Amino acid sequence: MTVETTTSVTGLRNRPFGAARSERWSQLAPYAALAAIAAVLPWIGNEYWAVIGTRAAIYWVLVAGLNLIVGFAGQLAIGYVALLTLGAYTTSVLVAGNVIPAVPLPLAFGAATVIGAVFGLVVGLPALRLRTFYFAMSTLGFATIVTQIALAWKSVTGGGIGIVAPEFPAPFNTPWGFYGFCLIVAAIATWMSANVAHSRFGRALVAIRDAEVAAEANGISKVQFLVPVFLLGGAMAGIAGGLFATLQTYVTPDAFTFDLSVLFFIAILIGGRGSILGPLLGTILLTILPEFAAPLAAWSTFLYAVLLLVIVLAVPGGIADLIDFKNRRPLTDAREIQPQPALLSRVIARQPGSQPLSLRNVVLAFGGVRALDGLDLDVQPGRVHGLIGPNGSGKTTALNVISGYYAPQNGSVALGGATLELGHPESRASHGIARTFQTPRIVGEASVLENVMIGATVTGRATFLETLLALPRRATDERVLKAKATAALTAVGLETLADIRANRLQHSELRFVEIARALMLSPAFLLLDEPAAGLSADEIDRLGSLITEISRQGTGVLLVEHHADLIFAICERVTVLNLGRVLAEGAAAEIRVHKEVVSAYLGA
Amino acid sequence: MDFGATLLPILASGLAVGAIYALIGVTYNTMYSTSRVMSFTSGQLGMLGGVLGSLFILRLGMPLIVGFVLTIMACAIVGVVTEFIAVRPVLKSLDQHLYVLSTLALALMIQQFTAIEWSTEPQPFPRLFGLGSGSFDEKFWLPVAACAFTIGALELMQRHTLVGRAFLAVSEDNFAARSLGLPERNLRIASYALAGAIGGLAGFAGGELMLAFFANGGQYNFYGFVPVALGGLGNNRGSIVGGLALGLFQQAANFLVGGVFASVAVFIAFIIVLLAAPQGLFGTSTARRV
Amino acid sequence: MTILRRTISRRAFTAGSAGTLALGAPLLSRPALAQAEPLRIGWLAALTGPSSAPAVGFNRGVVYAVEAINAGGGVKGRKIELVTRDTQGDPTKAVNATQEMISAAKVHAIWGPTNSGEALATTPIMARFKMPNLHPCVVNSLIDTAKYPNAFRMAPSNSQWDDAVRGYVLKIVKAKKVAVIGDTTGYGTTAAGDSVTAFKKDGADVVYTAQIDSTQPDMMPDMLRMKNAGAEAIVMWSVSTGMAARMFNARAALNWDVPFVGHPSLGSGEVAGLIEKPANWEKVYVINYRSCSFDAAGKLPTRTQEFLDKSKGKIDLTNTLLWWVASGVDVIEIFAKAVTETGSSNSEDIIKFLNAQTKYPGLFGTYTWNTGEHNGFPTEEIVMGAANSSKDGALKLAPGY
Repeated sequence: MTVETTTSVTGLRNRPFGAARSERWSQLAPYAALAAIAAVLPWIGNEYWAVIGTRAAIYWVLVAGLNLIVGFAGQLAIGYVALLTLGAYTTSVLVAGNVIPAVPLPLAFGAATVIGAVFGLVVGLPALRLRTFYFAMSTLGFATIVTQIALAWKSVTGGGIGIVAPEFPAPFNTPWGFYGFCLIVAAIATWMSANVAHSRFGRALVAIRDAEVAAEANGISKVQFLVPVFLLGGAMAGIAGGLFATLQTYVTPDAFTFDLSVLFFIAILIGGRGSILGPLLGTILLTILPEFAAPLAAWSTFLYAVLLLVIVLAVPGGIADLIDFKNRRPLTDAREIQPQPALLSRVIARQPGSQPLSLRNVVLAFGGVRALDGLDLDVQPGRVHGLIGPNGSGKTTALNVISGYYAPQNGSVALGGATLELGHPESRASHGIARTFQTPRIVGEASVLENVMIGATVTGRATFLETLLALPRRATDERVLKAKATAALTAVGLETLADIRANRLQHSELRFVEIARALMLSPAFLLLDEPAAGLSADEIDRLGSLITEISRQGTGVLLVEHHADLIFAICERVTVLNLGRVLAEGAAAEIRVHKEVVSAYLGA
Repeated sequence: MDFGATLLPILASGLAVGAIYALIGVTYNTMYSTSRVMSFTSGQLGMLGGVLGSLFILRLGMPLIVGFVLTIMACAIVGVVTEFIAVRPVLKSLDQHLYVLSTLALALMIQQFTAIEWSTEPQPFPRLFGLGSGSFDEKFWLPVAACAFTIGALELMQRHTLVGRAFLAVSEDNFAARSLGLPERNLRIASYALAGAIGGLAGFAGGELMLAFFANGGQYNFYGFVPVALGGLGNNRGSIVGGLALGLFQQAANFLVGGVFASVAVFIAFIIVLLAAPQGLFGTSTARRV
Repeated sequence: MTILRRTISRRAFTAGSAGTLALGAPLLSRPALAQAEPLRIGWLAALTGPSSAPAVGFNRGVVYAVEAINAGGGVKGRKIELVTRDTQGDPTKAVNATQEMISAAKVHAIWGPTNSGEALATTPIMARFKMPNLHPCVVNSLIDTAKYPNAFRMAPSNSQWDDAVRGYVLKIVKAKKVAVIGDTTGYGTTAAGDSVTAFKKDGADVVYTAQIDSTQPDMMPDMLRMKNAGAEAIVMWSVSTGMAARMFNARAALNWDVPFVGHPSLGSGEVAGLIEKPANWEKVYVINYRSCSFDAAGKLPTRTQEFLDKSKGKIDLTNTLLWWVASGVDVIEIFAKAVTETGSSNSEDIIKFLNAQTKYPGLFGTYTWNTGEHNGFPTEEIVMGAANSSKDGALKLAPGY
């Protein structure tokens, strides 16, 4: 048995290696092809092509940053042309020297980067507090007033007459020279955004987008992860603005049309959310398309809108989805989840005997209904603790209080001696409290492996800046997280599905993905909310031994469950709730024969 | 301040545009109540109310009443089309906010189509009754009257008709209403038709003041949303108060500090209030998420 | 990591490509002028979008002139080929289209763009390629014989317009107290600002000045303040017909008979539909030109009348201004004449021809250009017209001439 397991693990370790290599090549091939086309363009095209190519490159510099905000984090920043405007005016005004003495071009670009970043944050901040549509509206409003201010502030911006844009020195002062320069900037932008995208930051953003609640449970706070991306997006838009100004040769407010905002936005959605290649192709497509469709100029915005509608309704995944051949391959139907609890020690390495998780006199009322009415509960480390009760008795509510989604009106939650802050879900991961949900909360568009890696977001050590520049700690993080996630997936028995997009999995499989994700924290306490719902009898058995083994690693497990068989098979202690109060509490064997419990709940 | 010279015109035009904004706010709310969707087409419906009124009555020479009924019907149809094309297909994934994109796309299509097929210049809107002059001209009080009428009619409907109560039930709790056997989908279509009619009425009543102009759509979208955000989502009374306050604030700023600063002032006030009270001044907090 | 590797290789590749472009580009250019090669004229027109009215008018003249010349056998046997691009007034599209005309379509001369915002961006690009360029945009800085020796203006500049309006207000209306207003667009803010400065320099009393949001539904407060300030004339710089009509309506509501003087848009046909009654459009005087003005006897200048007779039925003059159509015709004829007289369509020859024109008798104006002055339109041909007197796109002279 043990021998078998080991060989299968080594087998596993070898397979992804070869596969990963060819996969990486197939991932990079499209970029290589684009680079090749960009490089031969000067030999086959004229300067008109240079201008169009430069424009596409500049737009991409902005879109590459915006993509992290819209495509990854799902924050619908519509009026991003405002930041392009700011960048364009900043470089032009500084180089022209009509406010302060003229500054050299590189310094002006530095200023555009900083101003772009600052206003990127200003535009983005409402997203931390406001709902999606509100945020979209506020960015739209911002775009309007930036143009208005540019018009009104004549002494600086030249008002409606505008201002001359900076010229680049040789050899970048010809169409092809500038094209080359912008291509380099675009390549760096691509590289940086890819660094972020394929890191704990990128995965956390996608989690905020598609599974916000789960993101919080995994310690991902919106502030901590969105702020750096808003700064980056703004900075890149500022640089793009400076380049845009030079390409235009002249900056007037009427160059920054709402259509441009729509173009940036739609490029990302056409490309596909959560992809880099897709939006890159989308940007190129939308820059080139109007040039071929000159007779349709009047209808261009209308057609963009039609395109947007068609994409949202028919191909929500965009280009990225269309070219994702890997996930078209059918999955075998006869898959079995075969957990290997023996391998858990590779994932969780926790010393047993740490302190208990305790709730004292917790009261939580929704309106007039007391969902929890003075609940006391102690979960010991290294034990499986069952929490049962009829529907509406407060089981899930108790879980939500522990994980910080609800702030009770009274009472406390403590881990050993430390009281936990009430109502702060994103703080729980750092205390080593992990959980799963009644309905699995998974990022459907990310791979299973990436979903699991989200679980250890808080353990990553590379800062955003290190990640952006691909400094060594980013690679270390990635390696460690990937290895751990692979181990967790193997332990729950899903390793063969690691590269599959999560929304292709069955419901039962998603439950195990959630457990694997929770294990990534090496949790001190694991809260499971009806993990057996929808599982077959066989799978429930395997789940049982998996949970038992998890507790043997030192993790305390709080199990909310309706399957009494599972509860009594694996729990050492059981608490029975009714109407938000403890009806009974004790060793599993006692509860099983507890009179009131049997009559009220278990049924005779 | 000189009452006749400044205060009266500010009051007249402030209340008038405020009433239009308020009605667009009600349009947003009506769509939201049955679908939990904020639609970018709300403002475009107001724009269409003006453009279609001018088209039917001035260009096609129809009698006033026929033109009015046709305008309201056409806007109701656009409301239903919104539900069909941009809302229903994305309802199942409400938490992905795809409706922001689908309704934005539809709104842009409506606006661009109008710009190309109607005109990019403001076009005349017919003088409806020829009543009043100066600050008491009908162009100022018609929107206010339309606003009062709409609110009255909505309250009556909610209190005294079955459909109205069903609306209320759906807006309180979608799932519960469905489990009670209410025809949730039909109610949603009906609410979109109603929203279309209200938006159309706003644009029609404000036509003399705002003219039949394609760019009004974008204006209405933003300024009609502000009262919703201030008054609290789904709260019609909040929208009315917010709309009128916005109208007065905007026109006062327009007259006292000038055009550019007026829009900046409105935007900054909007952001500050929202950041301080994300649920709006009269709103209630959101439901549980887990 | 692999991404990094790829970036480096791409960087090396593109740096190389930038260096060799000098070799690459000439190989692709077409063989020099063949005899029957058509004369290609680029036409940067904002044919659609919110500021499209002038270009639509220009275009009617342009198309008419091209068809007339081609029907007569072309220019020295060469057909004129029009390369029209709709820029929608968007500087971004204008830059793309300009480069396309120069590098891909290989035009011999460019006419346009028609909006200043576009021209500010395209002028330096055309200068870089020494492309002969005629345009009608008013912004003063667009003409600079040192920086843009290839660019010629064939309509008045903003300061010429300003001079004409100011002259009319001060000398003919004899107003001492003037109100100057503009809308909140780039054009409105700038033109109004310049106008105020110039009035003050001439010693006039500018009693009121404001930037007004053109979508503001009621113009009464501004109108009242101008009245209270004692304005004897209102100078208005705005292309917004909606704002103009609301202003005229507000003036009528006050029973005030102050004259409006200003931008040609105040006389646009669109205004007619927006005013509450026709009388509201009285005493509105807009910039117009001698060539397109009816005199007291209701007659147009002979040259203009001949053109109208000749082109009758071929050009639609409804909903447009005659001077737009006339200048469209002029531009094509000037380019054609340049090629006829110099026998060449090289850019240097066309520019040289333009620089040698003294009192070229065009339909719209009498143009004079030389190496030191590329503002070709004579100020004395700018006159004021009565806004509500449009017939065939021409206006009656304002009172006082």
